[in-house]
Amino acid sequence: MRIRKKSLRNLFQRTSLAAAALSASLAFSAGIASAAESVLTMHIEEQTSWVSNFNPFDLAGRRQSTMDFIYEPLVIFNANDGGKPVWRLATSYKFSDDLMSITYELRSGVKWSDGQPLTSADVKYTIDLMLKNPAVDTVGVGQTVASVEAPSPTQVTIKLKAVNSEFPESLADLAVVPEHIWKDIPDPVAFKNEKPVGSGPMTEVRRFTPQVYEQCRNPNYWDAASLHVDCLRLPQISGNDQMLALLPEGTVDWIGSFLPQIDKTFVALDPQHNGYWQPPAETVAFEMNFKSSNAGNFEAFKDLNFRHAFSLAMDRKSMVDIAGFGYPVVNLHASGLPPRFESWRNKAAEGDKDAFMGFDTEKANKILDDAGYKKGADGFRTTPSGKPITFAVIVPNGWTDWIDAVQIAVEGLRAAGINASVATPEYEQWRKQLLDGSFDVVMNSRADSATPFQGYYQSLSTAYSGKLTVAAARYSNPKLDALFDQYLKSSSDEDHKKIFNDIQVLIADDFPVVPVFNGPTWYQYSSKRFTGWVTDKDPVMNPENHDNNRMRLMHLLRLKPVQ
Amino acid sequence: MRVSSRRLGVYAVALAFAIVVNFILPRLMPGSPVDAMVAQLGPRATPAAVEAIKARFGEIDQPIMMQFLDYLKGLATFDLGVSVKYYPQTVVQVLSRATLWTIFLVVTAIIFSLCVGVVLGAIAAWRRGGRFDTIVSPFAVILFSIPPVIVALTTLFVFAVSLRWFPVGYAYDPNLDPGFNFTFFGSVFMHAILPMLTLSPFLIGEFQTTMRSSMIVVLGEDYVTMGRAKGLSNLAVMFGYGARNALLPVLTNLALMLGAVFGGSIVTEIVFNYPGLGLTLFTASVARDYPVIQGQLLLMTLATLGANFLVDIIYGLVDPRLREAGR
Repeated sequence: MRIRKKSLRNLFQRTSLAAAALSASLAFSAGIASAAESVLTMHIEEQTSWVSNFNPFDLAGRRQSTMDFIYEPLVIFNANDGGKPVWRLATSYKFSDDLMSITYELRSGVKWSDGQPLTSADVKYTIDLMLKNPAVDTVGVGQTVASVEAPSPTQVTIKLKAVNSEFPESLADLAVVPEHIWKDIPDPVAFKNEKPVGSGPMTEVRRFTPQVYEQCRNPNYWDAASLHVDCLRLPQISGNDQMLALLPEGTVDWIGSFLPQIDKTFVALDPQHNGYWQPPAETVAFEMNFKSSNAGNFEAFKDLNFRHAFSLAMDRKSMVDIAGFGYPVVNLHASGLPPRFESWRNKAAEGDKDAFMGFDTEKANKILDDAGYKKGADGFRTTPSGKPITFAVIVPNGWTDWIDAVQIAVEGLRAAGINASVATPEYEQWRKQLLDGSFDVVMNSRADSATPFQGYYQSLSTAYSGKLTVAAARYSNPKLDALFDQYLKSSSDEDHKKIFNDIQVLIADDFPVVPVFNGPTWYQYSSKRFTGWVTDKDPVMNPENHDNNRMRLMHLLRLKPVQ
Repeated sequence: MRVSSRRLGVYAVALAFAIVVNFILPRLMPGSPVDAMVAQLGPRATPAAVEAIKARFGEIDQPIMMQFLDYLKGLATFDLGVSVKYYPQTVVQVLSRATLWTIFLVVTAIIFSLCVGVVLGAIAAWRRGGRFDTIVSPFAVILFSIPPVIVALTTLFVFAVSLRWFPVGYAYDPNLDPGFNFTFFGSVFMHAILPMLTLSPFLIGEFQTTMRSSMIVVLGEDYVTMGRAKGLSNLAVMFGYGARNALLPVLTNLALMLGAVFGGSIVTEIVFNYPGLGLTLFTASVARDYPVIQGQLLLMTLATLGANFLVDIIYGLVDPRLREAGR
């Protein structure tokens, strides 16, 4: 959830922008927009001062409105629609029969914002740039792509290094840049790209000050018919407190903030227009280190009975209600499948297999007693072979909601006679421990993509074991690896579904990690000036405006100014 | 002026010390700028992306002596390096953006507090034990004991969030472009009032208390009695004879307190989202942005030393005895 990082707010009255620039006739009365122009105010990121940087290859430094709004993706996969593709710059793709290459068909007639045609040469140029210069390889093509060709102006053929039916998803974060501009940039890493030439709907940076910037309509946008917003306005907001102080002004339309007691602090300000929907996102789970150097912990973590007892000691409801302000959602599935992937759910992985997902201290104690975990004089259990079990659950310092959740977990574990405690290293230290394996237990979330596969693959496959923070558990199961491999080597949706069913059953049975809850997404809106907001009644897409949600582009295209 | 030249040596030593400490301090903090940037990326930090960031800021991994030499070389050429957090802006760009706002804020607050505090202190001393004194003086002690963070949050909540008399943040209305016109300056003024008032109570309390005690001593001097005997008006004696001489300790105090004022401005700027040095320092610390932290600490050291130096000079001007001694 990482609440501390997010806060958004909006700021100022929306005034007619043309007039606002210089004139003294600043309209302080809220909501007066000039009839000619619709300006959408949004808050995506917290910064103390805006720095003009629209370089899509600068992950940390780029303004978070660079992707999607300036650089349109080839294709977006909609997680809320079973991962179905939404075609943008591309109109289709096709794998070769041996799955070793993939050909994208590009939309014809697309132009860059400066009027030049966007062709397959630009796509080839961009991928080649990344292959040549690993510092700009933001999507990892260096590991997956052998070479790129452009057989025709609307066709790009990518030769892969290995069979990987998930490749198009990894390319979803690719920003295609115009060759005619970038070929003259000596250092693509340090380039600030202050006057971007892009393919997306909002390419014209009209005004840029340390306190606010505005991004306006691309005069050559290919999908202009769907675009009803003329400008995006992004006021600088440095933190949560500031956001809360600004909310009463009612000037922000599209917010992606953590707002405590949202009904009171936000909705109540304007119940008619203010709304939110914070659907559950990725699964948060407790991961035990299967390569722990502590002999007692190692023996316990390897034992399925211990993991079941661990799970029964989790008071998930308190974690959600007390630690998470009620925003997360309890996950009661042994497979840990996030609710957003409901259409992928395998009923065979539920029922009996979820028997260990409740909060039942008595049952946890009984399982441990039966399995030979005897209590010592200090009231704490030892392993069946008599070794002590004692571990700290690590959670980054400052992630207050997560720390509270871990504290609740530790209380539960101690009630079951397990000697657990909480440790709060700095984030950097925490991250290092996950990667070098010098920890015992961690509460961790995984990064999901448009289908559930990527999340499971990266966190539980031997290939990634210990290499990514989401794979901290160092779990390794040849049977599961074989299923992952099968999945990557088949390209039909039907096969994918079938294989993923097996994956769910296997995980529910072997129970490698202990799922507890699903964190929320951050999405609040005001329908005062724009309509078309996605709500829980019509959950067709993820409406969050953060940089990791490509569907935010489609959400922008839904919005229409109130007449 | 002998006084100043003698002290110049002291300043040189202090400066050299500051330059070294300045280099060491940020490096004692846990974590590195690269770690902090990776942390910012969260789950998007693929191994390739982490490598890319490391490659870009590779110089941070150099041996510490090399870093120190680079640092000294940079100081000599006024090249303070490139900011990590605001990459690719340079430290000089980042700091110059913020410095004016902080100077504006701090100087306004000091002038305002100085006027209020000195007058209150002078009157309280003049009517020592009177009703005014018994109310104002204890109140001043309370004033400078309240941490700025409390004052800032309270004023923000009452005057900006609840009453909405003043804006809740920024240095000026973001819809405006800076320019020499009434609207812009009006906006700057409105946005500065709350932060300025937040910085002031502590200063007013300090100045009032110092002024009062110093004035009481001065009022016992023979020349004050002499002034009265000459039949001068109360006001002339109070300000011309008393307050003028009683000001000296207040000025010393002012120079010493400059650091504390900057400290207070950090809190104030964070609370009011005011784009000054305080907010910059805070963000830079969180991001482990060594170059910016160093540049900023150096700037503050220079400011404090410079202010002390200035007070030394003013002292000479205000106090005729020192002027004589200097000749």
